[in-house]
Amino acid sequence: MRKLLLLVLVGCGGDLDQPWDLDHDRIVAIRAEPAGIVSGETSRLDGLLAGKGVATSEREPIQVIVTSPQSLAEALSMDADGYLVTAPDEARLDAARTELGLDAGAPVPLQLGVAFTPELVGIKTIRLGMTSLNPALGAMQIDGAEAPAPGTEIVIGIEVDVPVSIETLDTDEVNWLTSCGEMHDFDLPSGYIRVEDEVDTSFMGELAVVLRDDNGGVTWQVWPIRAE
Amino acid sequence: MLGRSVRGASVGIEGSNARVKTDINGRFILQAPIGASLVFDADNYQTSLATVTGQPLGDIVMLSSSMGETIVLKGDVPPPAPGAAQLDRTELQRVPGTGGDIVRALTVMPGVVNLQIPLGYSGVVIRGASPQDSKVLIDGFEVPVLFHSIGFRAVTPAETIATLDFIPGGFDVAFGRASSGIVSLTTRSGGDKRAGQAEVSFIDGGLIAQGPIGKDTEYLFAVRRSTIDFVLPALIPDSVDLSLTTVPRYWDEQFRIDHKLNRRWKLRLSSLGTDDIFELVASKQEDAKDKRFFNRTRFLRNTLAAKYHEGEWTADMGLSLLLQEFVFELGSSQYIRNTLTSVTPRVEVTRAMPKALGLTDVVWRTGGEVQVGRYGIDLALPVEPREGEPMPEMDSDDVSTLFDGTIYTPDFVAWTAMSANLDPKLRVTTGLRADFFGRARQLALQPRGEIQYKLSKPWTLRLASGVYHRPPQFQSELLQKDLKSEQSRQTIVGLQYEPREGIRTQVSGYYTDRTSLISRPAPVADGMTQFDPSLVNNGRGTTFGGELLATYRGGPWFGWLSYSYSKSTRVDAPGQPNRLFSFDQPHSMNLAVSWKKGKWTLGGRFQLYSGLPFTPALGSVFDSDRNIHIPIYADANSDRAPIHHQLDLRVDRSWKAGPVKLTGFIDVQNVYMNTSVVTYFYNYDFTQRAAFKSLPIIPSIGLRGEL
Repeated sequence: MRKLLLLVLVGCGGDLDQPWDLDHDRIVAIRAEPAGIVSGETSRLDGLLAGKGVATSEREPIQVIVTSPQSLAEALSMDADGYLVTAPDEARLDAARTELGLDAGAPVPLQLGVAFTPELVGIKTIRLGMTSLNPALGAMQIDGAEAPAPGTEIVIGIEVDVPVSIETLDTDEVNWLTSCGEMHDFDLPSGYIRVEDEVDTSFMGELAVVLRDDNGGVTWQVWPIRAE
Repeated sequence: MLGRSVRGASVGIEGSNARVKTDINGRFILQAPIGASLVFDADNYQTSLATVTGQPLGDIVMLSSSMGETIVLKGDVPPPAPGAAQLDRTELQRVPGTGGDIVRALTVMPGVVNLQIPLGYSGVVIRGASPQDSKVLIDGFEVPVLFHSIGFRAVTPAETIATLDFIPGGFDVAFGRASSGIVSLTTRSGGDKRAGQAEVSFIDGGLIAQGPIGKDTEYLFAVRRSTIDFVLPALIPDSVDLSLTTVPRYWDEQFRIDHKLNRRWKLRLSSLGTDDIFELVASKQEDAKDKRFFNRTRFLRNTLAAKYHEGEWTADMGLSLLLQEFVFELGSSQYIRNTLTSVTPRVEVTRAMPKALGLTDVVWRTGGEVQVGRYGIDLALPVEPREGEPMPEMDSDDVSTLFDGTIYTPDFVAWTAMSANLDPKLRVTTGLRADFFGRARQLALQPRGEIQYKLSKPWTLRLASGVYHRPPQFQSELLQKDLKSEQSRQTIVGLQYEPREGIRTQVSGYYTDRTSLISRPAPVADGMTQFDPSLVNNGRGTTFGGELLATYRGGPWFGWLSYSYSKSTRVDAPGQPNRLFSFDQPHSMNLAVSWKKGKWTLGGRFQLYSGLPFTPALGSVFDSDRNIHIPIYADANSDRAPIHHQLDLRVDRSWKAGPVKLTGFIDVQNVYMNTSVVTYFYNYDFTQRAAFKSLPIIPSIGLRGEL
């Protein structure tokens, strides 16, 4: 902890890509649509990916495997549109609950290993035995105005703090990400972007918000952004 | 020589009229029985005492009445174990690069792991053992914290310390609950002249007052407060997302009252306390609960001690109370709130006989101690990583270790030891220590012994061996009742060479075998079994090494050269690979030279030491629901930070301003600005790493006034 504090105090890490940085090869989020399903229902997988020097994209995984519990491996299948999970019948779910030591009727977490490229690998958990939708984004404000529709370019000033905010539940987790300037308080419902007029600053990029709930649900929105 | 020999000092045997005067070299000859107390008096000096033990008497330190720096050194007290060393207060303050601080002065000792910044631990790493394996004692009782959480300053100012004994291993049966080494600090009494002292630097400032109360009582009172908290907010740039809601600050206090009841009995009441507090929010939004960090560490140790001496018999008694609180809160869900109340009564009886059982210079000691601790623990934290385990992913919602309750640790110990000369060249010490750790209901028998053999006049050979136990008493170890103590078996051989007064060279080699180390159960590689966070006495380890310490005290010069070679490894569970210990430091060298003349003292210190091992990350897997990257690590401690070297310089100058003696000092660390790597840290997804480097240059300026 002393080490962590020192890092905070001396402001180290300036040379490293930050967790709000969209200009970095990474999986931003993996989505199961819907997040939780009951027997017979299906859920489809995709993800939001960011890359160095390229725009974000929503993509289907190239490979998915069941990592836990192995007894529900058959719940995963593939069709022409990609990977999907089908919740097995209640008897199979009950057996899985016993295997995992869960209470009767509890949702069964089906953990999946998800690869979008050989390097970008993640874990996603789908709740089986419960219906759960991905969350909806609450009201958002960007630079004092209502957030525009997805895909609409946002223009912000240089060397000013540009506030961003979203209405969330206490149990939600929010991330603001950008590839234009620096994001401050990226993991709070309200933060701000600041673009400095420096040589290595990117004046064009994207702004994204990702919202996660405590049931494994996730949703996101992305805008082009430009500083001038 | 740091001071000068005192000519004409009166040396007497307590309780008798026999008195002699010291000669021009400060020497004297006086017939005295073993166990007798010698009293040293001289004009303008505080009274000093020494006990005749049958061992060479060594030097008697006499402090000037005005709390000046004059100290008489005419030889050296034999170290308590092979490889051990002692620094007195003036030497502690003169070592350059330490800012006059005890903790940093410790880094000149051979066998102490040196690091530019003591990241990640708050004790002393001695001879390839974890910080918790060694104990820091002040006046014989353990202190839970050695240095303040900011500034890395010792919890007690060097001005209140008489001596620092560093015993890296092979220590006596009276010391216990440690499986590696002992750092024993002895505070000083107030003296028979009233005096005051004030000191201020950019780190902290303090006051010391001392003097007599009547004929038989002396007092010393010291208080210190950090000053760095006044400057720190101004040093943090506006661009940093940080709210220092409670600026880091610390206090410490110390008092000691000595009272001579009669010629047989002396009493001492002492207190040592600290209070560190720190709160920040890693955001400019002060109400961002998820980004809040809070830490408060405070303790108070009060001790009542009595010493009885009559003829061959001496008894030391003490009753000490420790109150400690540790609060750590991170984000909105992780915390530990820990309180400790510990009561420790102790007694040791010594009988020193010129002859007994056909042996000469016989010293027999026996003692006992009870240490009852009551821990109140309320915590919600992730699984605490053990030594050798890499840092897990940062998950602010992880509270997989939950506990709220009270834990008692009733520990009992008894020891006995006898030292005697088998012939004029051979002295043997043998002893047995028996600890009963009440929580685990474990009896730990620890035989220890030492042989000293005078080869020829300047050469002494020493061999020490023993068994040492360290009970489970740190963080998560306390949560499991069934854990037993960790054990080490130490063997040390030392050769001491003293060609003439003021010059000593000692070389030692050691081998330590560690068993029952507290670690995780062996992992099951079936792909199904999950990580088991429980603890077991599963680990083993070995450390071996060699150390050199050469000291010179002569005229205005003080020189210190130490070098250690060490290799320390661990096996976490049967069948697991042998890996490097996290604080393994193969090479460490310190060369310190100080010169004092008139009002000036100049000093320099060169350090060169190996970097510590670390575990590199190979990549990570992204857990989308938890929004964290789970690191994938290479083999534990399979890489090492580069070697570090630096030069530190110190200048002191004193002058008089009316009745006040002022001393100003400049202590500059790393003067040629060698910024080497301390360790590495990774970005959020472990695809990039950056070096955490030592600070390029650290100046420290201070002013001390003495009345």
